[in-house]
Amino acid sequence: MTADATRLQIRSERLFNGLVVGIVVAGFLTLVGVAGYGLYVMGQNVTFTRWVSHTYEVEGAISDFLILDERTETARRGYLLSHDEVFAQSAARTSQRAARALDRIGALTPDNPAQQAFLARMRPLFAQQQQAVIVSMAFARAGHSDSSQFYHDSGVEATRLIRRLAEQMTEEETRLLRLRNAAQEAALDQLLWIAVAGGVLLVFVATGSTLVILRYTRQLNRSQRELAQLNAGLEDQVATRTADLQRANEEIQRFAYIVSHDLRSPLVNVMGFTSELEAAAKPLGVLLERAEAEAPQIVSEDARAAVRTDLPESIGFIRTSTQKMDRLINAILQLSRQGRRVLTPEPVDMVRVAQGIADNLKHRSQELGAEIEIAPDLPVVISDRLALEQIFSNLVENALKYLKPGRPGRIAVTGQHQGGRMVYEVRDNGRGIDPKDHDRVFDLFRRAGLQDQPGEGIGLAHVRALAYRLGGTVTCQSALDQGATFRVSLPARLSIQGSAS
Amino acid sequence: MSEQRHVTIVMIEDDDGHARLIERNIRRAGISNEIRHFADGASALHYLENDNTGPALNGPALVLLDLNLPDMSGIDILARVKSNDRLKRTPVVVLTTTDDKVEIQRCYDLGCNVYITKPVNYESFADAIRQLGLFLSVIQVPEVEGNG
Repeated sequence: MTADATRLQIRSERLFNGLVVGIVVAGFLTLVGVAGYGLYVMGQNVTFTRWVSHTYEVEGAISDFLILDERTETARRGYLLSHDEVFAQSAARTSQRAARALDRIGALTPDNPAQQAFLARMRPLFAQQQQAVIVSMAFARAGHSDSSQFYHDSGVEATRLIRRLAEQMTEEETRLLRLRNAAQEAALDQLLWIAVAGGVLLVFVATGSTLVILRYTRQLNRSQRELAQLNAGLEDQVATRTADLQRANEEIQRFAYIVSHDLRSPLVNVMGFTSELEAAAKPLGVLLERAEAEAPQIVSEDARAAVRTDLPESIGFIRTSTQKMDRLINAILQLSRQGRRVLTPEPVDMVRVAQGIADNLKHRSQELGAEIEIAPDLPVVISDRLALEQIFSNLVENALKYLKPGRPGRIAVTGQHQGGRMVYEVRDNGRGIDPKDHDRVFDLFRRAGLQDQPGEGIGLAHVRALAYRLGGTVTCQSALDQGATFRVSLPARLSIQGSAS
Repeated sequence: MSEQRHVTIVMIEDDDGHARLIERNIRRAGISNEIRHFADGASALHYLENDNTGPALNGPALVLLDLNLPDMSGIDILARVKSNDRLKRTPVVVLTTTDDKVEIQRCYDLGCNVYITKPVNYESFADAIRQLGLFLSVIQVPEVEGNG
């Protein structure tokens, strides 16, 4: 995939993601809108219900008034016919109740100008009718029983008018109810439409989201498959590289072994014939002495120097050089032999290993007045015991070797578990190592600082080679005069596939 | 000592210097047996197996063997000697620079009688050879059967 295509894909993906978020947000907004409108309509409905019951109340009040008014009229007529006082009392009672009913209508409809107008017309009519009732009954009580007068009574007309007015008022209320009903129905219709529209939109959003999720899932699956393939490839690569490295390592080991081995043969000759030369020089010395004694004139200064000084000196130099070379070759041999050794991982109690090393070095540490402290909580590691013993004994020995004169030596071995690895430290308060030499000290035949201690510069090289073989690392932290800390980090469990056979 | 006088020492050693040093030190130990020196494996094997004066046809002999030879490994010679019916009782002293444990074990497994590492330190080397000489002076070498 080219960079341009990648960028394009990233941009389109970003666009797509934005779109998805937009759709989802729109869907949610729609839901919220529909729900909000529904709540609003419900609130409206409650108000409407209240208004409906109000209307019924008003209508009830009107009909109450009308009935009471009619009963007053009926009671008047009853009295006029029978002159029974019961009718007169009934008329007075219902008349009062009718007046109260009229007042109630007024109290119920203060906000309705139409009803107030009707009421304004109703009140004088009612008063007129009541007046007629009182007058006619008083007239009758006085002994006039002419019923013809009743027909000219204004009360009858007023009652008819009141009836009509009341009907009009009821109609007015009914009209209002109709209006409110229509508004309510319109609102419900609207809610229905909005709900339908919201539903459709939601279906779209849901479909869109499902499609998007499906597409994403497919993409994710594809990516996972690709990743798995890549991983497998990577593992193969690692395996190949590891095999290559192992081969290279074995090659170097073999090379080191053969070279050091073959170097020894000529060295045997050099040393052997040097000794032969030395042996041959002896009779020469004797000869020189005899010549000096018997015929001093034949002994030249050159001959004397050659036999007495040059020859022994030369032989001495050859000898020390070959001895040194022998030590170096032995060191290489030892290293290559370590590299060829088969590692056997086993649980190793590091406290015991360190304690063993400290015990072995007890004599020397006591001589030097140094103390070796071993932390009781050194973690157990699954690794090769011999290699570990070699590593830590070299490190502790080194610490003892390079103590600061005049400062009581303190060497501490500590360790801890650090995420799948065991990290051990050998810390001393000795003379320390200049930071510029930190890499050098691990090189074969290289040493740092004052060269006042015997050694070939092999110990730390050996430590590093062993640590590498155990799948670990070794690092140095130190400054001149500040002591040194060597940190060995090892895998908690050594895998044996790395060991050469 | 006179019994051993006719035992031939067959020295298979590619390094002339080593051969010379070995010979000198053997002589210094007072061993005067004939020493036949071969610098490569092929001629040594030919002498051992086919030469009329060689141990297979005319014995007895003692083999001083270096493992690092130009044409073949001393181990192969050792195996050939020890698998040859006429030669298998011939003592073989491996005298070499290799001090690899595995190598030493292999030589003994193949029937080597003595394994000596050549010390680089010459005094030790000379000492070892001289002791070998003393050893050779007391060792009993079997006669080759069917000698003729």
